[in-house]
Amino acid sequence: MHIQGIIDSAVEEIGRTLLGKEPQIRLALCCLFARGHLLIEDLPGMGKTTLSHALAAVLGLSWKRVQFTSDLLPADILGVSVFDANNGSFNFHPGPIFTQLLLADEINRTTPRTQSALLEAMAEGQVTVEGETRPLPQPFFVIATQNPIHQSGTYPLPESQLDRFLMRLELGYPPPRAEREMLERRHSAALEIKHPRQCIDLDQLEMIRVAVSQVHASDNLLDYLQRLVAYTRQSAEFEVGLSPRGALALLDCAKTWAAMHNRGHVVPEDVQLVLPAVAGHRLIPSGDYAGDGHALVDLLQRNVDVVGP
Amino acid sequence: MSILQQVPRNALVWIIICLFALLAPHAGRLPIWILALYVVAVIWRLQVHRGRWSFPSRSVKVAMILSGFVGIYASYGSFIGLEPTVALLLIAFALKLVELSHRKDAYVLLFLGYFICITEFLFSQDLSVTLYALVSVTLVTTALVAIHRPGEQEFRLGTIRVASGMLLQAMPLMIILFFLFPRFGPLWTVPIKSHTAKTGMSDFMKPGDVASLSQSADVAFRVKFDGDIPAKSALYWRGLVFSRIEQGVWSALEFYDIPANQRRPQEVIGDGEPIRYSIIMEPTQQNWLYGLKYARSDTRGVMQTSDFRLFSPVPVETEYMYTVNSWANVAVDEVLSDWRRKTETQLPPTGNAKTRKLSLDLKAKASSDEAFVGLVLDTFRREPYVYTLRPGLLPEQDSIDAFLFQSMRGFCEHYASAFVFMMRAAGVPARVVAGYQGGEINPINKTVIVHQFDAHAWAEVWLASRGWVRVDPTAAVSPQRIEFGLEEAMASEGSFLSTVLLSPVRYRSVPLLNLLRLRYDALTYQWQTWVVGFDNERQFDLLRSFLGETTAKVFAVVLLGSWALVLLPVAISLLFKRDIVPVSPLGKHYRIFCKRLARLDLIRGPGEAPSQFAQRAVKDLPDYADPLWQITDLYNQLAYADAKLSAANAAKDLQHFARVVSRFRPKRHSAALSKETEL
Repeated sequence: MHIQGIIDSAVEEIGRTLLGKEPQIRLALCCLFARGHLLIEDLPGMGKTTLSHALAAVLGLSWKRVQFTSDLLPADILGVSVFDANNGSFNFHPGPIFTQLLLADEINRTTPRTQSALLEAMAEGQVTVEGETRPLPQPFFVIATQNPIHQSGTYPLPESQLDRFLMRLELGYPPPRAEREMLERRHSAALEIKHPRQCIDLDQLEMIRVAVSQVHASDNLLDYLQRLVAYTRQSAEFEVGLSPRGALALLDCAKTWAAMHNRGHVVPEDVQLVLPAVAGHRLIPSGDYAGDGHALVDLLQRNVDVVGP
Repeated sequence: MSILQQVPRNALVWIIICLFALLAPHAGRLPIWILALYVVAVIWRLQVHRGRWSFPSRSVKVAMILSGFVGIYASYGSFIGLEPTVALLLIAFALKLVELSHRKDAYVLLFLGYFICITEFLFSQDLSVTLYALVSVTLVTTALVAIHRPGEQEFRLGTIRVASGMLLQAMPLMIILFFLFPRFGPLWTVPIKSHTAKTGMSDFMKPGDVASLSQSADVAFRVKFDGDIPAKSALYWRGLVFSRIEQGVWSALEFYDIPANQRRPQEVIGDGEPIRYSIIMEPTQQNWLYGLKYARSDTRGVMQTSDFRLFSPVPVETEYMYTVNSWANVAVDEVLSDWRRKTETQLPPTGNAKTRKLSLDLKAKASSDEAFVGLVLDTFRREPYVYTLRPGLLPEQDSIDAFLFQSMRGFCEHYASAFVFMMRAAGVPARVVAGYQGGEINPINKTVIVHQFDAHAWAEVWLASRGWVRVDPTAAVSPQRIEFGLEEAMASEGSFLSTVLLSPVRYRSVPLLNLLRLRYDALTYQWQTWVVGFDNERQFDLLRSFLGETTAKVFAVVLLGSWALVLLPVAISLLFKRDIVPVSPLGKHYRIFCKRLARLDLIRGPGEAPSQFAQRAVKDLPDYADPLWQITDLYNQLAYADAKLSAANAAKDLQHFARVVSRFRPKRHSAALSKETEL
């Protein structure tokens, strides 16, 4: 089956439960295909959890969900060794992290200690409990959701940890038409909301990943990428520019996006489409800059010339 | 606000430095409240920058402007004139800083700053002022550079290097423009400085005037002789002639006091070789010029009065240069008119009875007028008269009696005045002449520097068949004054420049300081002859000496040619610099494509990807959908697709792309025309 066909059907499937959010769904898929972890940030009740459930279902992955609270401890995620009186030895009880897709709900409600335990696992693909290193199943994805940090009772993720997430998505309010449809469904209850069915299996996932790795990024495109990155490092509006990891993330996502749209090479539009999600959480406006992160990405996109000298 | 409109911190610091640098040369002339305003403005702006205070509201701004006007009026009593106008400009400069928020405000402020640099020249065109103006221009340019560097949030001294580099590059152009740019007469005139004190001699003289002038070490004028410099004792620079005495005050004749037929000087034939010299006067705000005896000037605008002085119809407001020919031995006014004889012997009817009696006694003893002069001088020589800068006060009434018979202490004006009084009392025509005597010879460039402390007053007596003869009674009392100058004459008294502590002239005895002072003075002389005195006439002379007779056409060619010559290296260096940034041929052709569309007001924003741009363009120019997409697809293909697949064809593809682009010449009117025909 054609990659674009697979993806279209997956998008359609998720779109059944999360109405009117096609661009975000595509970006979320792009993130997962690029082997990245995803952070969804928005106010409560915007569909963060719905999206992550649907993603898990569509990919047919084994998934577990952890609701992060302020009293959650690292062991609650990673697992503990319990002494078994019957055979006189310690038995390891793996925590919820031993799964292919971990839904970390409201990650910023838990303490930095627990956050860092999760983030280590995300970076390494393995966990170390009581001195023993255990690999996590493959593939391993984390989809974390968080409320905007200015809400009370939250521990904002530091910049260094935000960098571990390949993309950050914001869902926003649904368009009026989609919201109307949602309300009508609930009202009539005629259509039972079906659980999304699996559209992509592991083989297909692997196929997509091979396709991504074959996407060509020309010199012209890399020049453009470097101009983008350089701009964030030189202009006064940016407190901190994009890190080399950020630049790699941008390239990976742009390549994935090109592959998802059946193209063998990356064009600047690919970069521009993934740019807000990839760079938004990595850029910090400088103290003198009045705008927020969105304005910053917009500025970056507008001011950096696509066509080289 | 976009970052591009903000004023970076570095620029703000430079702007504030400029502000004070531009204020400094004016500070001495300004009322104190303007200086306070500057401090307040800077503090306010800094507090705004720190986020403590906010920008002034509109009503506060209006109030500040109005109070600025009121303050000017209160301090100067008028808005017209140089000082109030410049003060107004400086106030505007400070207030603009307070509301400086966008980059465009900074532009206004800094361009105003350049203008303020120039206003300094309205007050003085001294070499030091020019050097300071160069510093100011560098600072303003530095601030201008700084506002174009949005990234700089820290103060950077290095910015000045960029600005200096730019100004150094502009220097040759500046010199060419200075020497070659046509010099028109003033298109408008600036009102005369209303408050500037007139300096130097005034047109009346009472006892003590010259003595107080002698306390100044300022330069009065500089003289350059064509040949050898005459002996110091012969350097009597005549400036004013006082023919009238009223209540103890000598004054010069006004133009209209003289009968119409005698306003022109009598014809004098200068025989033999004249002494030729040129004089550069420091500004005095007065009309009279100085020259040795029987001076005639061939400089346009210099006139001669009936008492053989040089005279400028317009007051000397800037350094003024004129050349003079002098014949020292020629007789002037050999025939004295009745009116002149009457005027030059006139005395108040009463007063100074003892002096009159002494005069008549001596006259009775003398066989001729000449002998009489000798007798009077002998009296000065014989009696214990003291030449002093501290003569003490004389009574209003009979002051000459009091001086001659009681105090016996006086400065040159006392002796000259008493001498002339005695002459007139005996019916011999005589008058007081005021000016300067002697001068300092600068060995470095062989000029004579005449200072204010060389101010002197002496007498002229009319003798039959010899005309007016100079008699200096001071020489009888203190020969050192004439031979060596005032400093020597006052050596024992220690009163020379006793009130001016910081004048470099005071430290003439320190060889190194003296050398530096004379070097600087020589430099000033060069400056005045070559720069300040470089007017339209000298410009023509200069060109003529290179090119022969010049026409306007030649002038223009020389100006433009030398201009081009100076800019050529800049152009060449720019040309080579461009090559440092490699230009990809693909990008170049795509930009040509964009340029063609830009002519139709379809401008690609930098962040707009080719396909997005094409979409927009097609919407606007549906007729050209095919070529637009063809070019865009080709570009995308060449720029982003995997080149390895078609490496062999790359050059060919590029050629093809270039051809397609060059054939693409969109026009709007075809679409418009077709619409019209439809209508």
